[in-house]
Amino acid sequence: MNQLPDFWRTEVLHPLSVHLPIALLLVATAFKLVSLWRSGETWSRGGSILLFVGVIGGWMSVYTGNLADGVVARELCDPTVLKDHENAALIMVWLFTSAVILEMIYSFLKKTWLKLLMVGAMIIGSGFLGYTGHLGATLVYQQAAGVYVPSDDCEEFQ
Amino acid sequence: MKIIAKVLLGFLFVFAFSACESTDAVESGTYTGTVDEVEPAKTEIYVKTADGKTLELYFTNETSLTKSGEVVDFSMLEEGMTVEVEVEKVGKRLDPISVVIME
Repeated sequence: MNQLPDFWRTEVLHPLSVHLPIALLLVATAFKLVSLWRSGETWSRGGSILLFVGVIGGWMSVYTGNLADGVVARELCDPTVLKDHENAALIMVWLFTSAVILEMIYSFLKKTWLKLLMVGAMIIGSGFLGYTGHLGATLVYQQAAGVYVPSDDCEEFQ
Repeated sequence: MKIIAKVLLGFLFVFAFSACESTDAVESGTYTGTVDEVEPAKTEIYVKTADGKTLELYFTNETSLTKSGEVVDFSMLEEGMTVEVEVEKVGKRLDPISVVIME
């Protein structure tokens, strides 16, 4: 008889940790984009806070993803998708990290080109974020990465 | 300050893209190459073949690792070593059947 595995498995930490930074970084990009046209603290300061917290969450997601990789890669039929997912995630998180550094430099210099560069990095980063998410979803829904597949007769749920 | 900011940003962008690794799916068979990277926590190695392909190999319970005919521990593997690997292609995954340390 199959035994239902514990839910809190190493590979489950990754999907639990990725969704908050995804939301934060996308909304941060929207806030910073709006702040180019609208003055006021809400858009600019709000975007900065979302960006900082989102980047911390992004690096945590890279860490949990690395842990999950060691577990699921042996069971995938096409691990090249996992590699593309990891590469896109690294590029994305470095782009948003660049935006954080630009934000800090901007707070001292107040040069418009720095702000434009920061928003540019965030927009490109958002593109990579979407691609990373798409590949992650492909791994789960096409290759059952990290997913427990119940037995045909569902005996372990009796 | 402006120059420092540009250099820093350029460095970050280059670093972001250079941090990426690409791997290749090859047919089942035996390949000789150099160990490019060892990941002990995942019992995983990257092997660079003579024709420039990078094989990402996750050891399984069935993978044998030998040196001079003797079974050795995974911790014996180091970057730069020459190895001969026999792999089985399952889908696009490469399962290492045997890894022989040549030097």
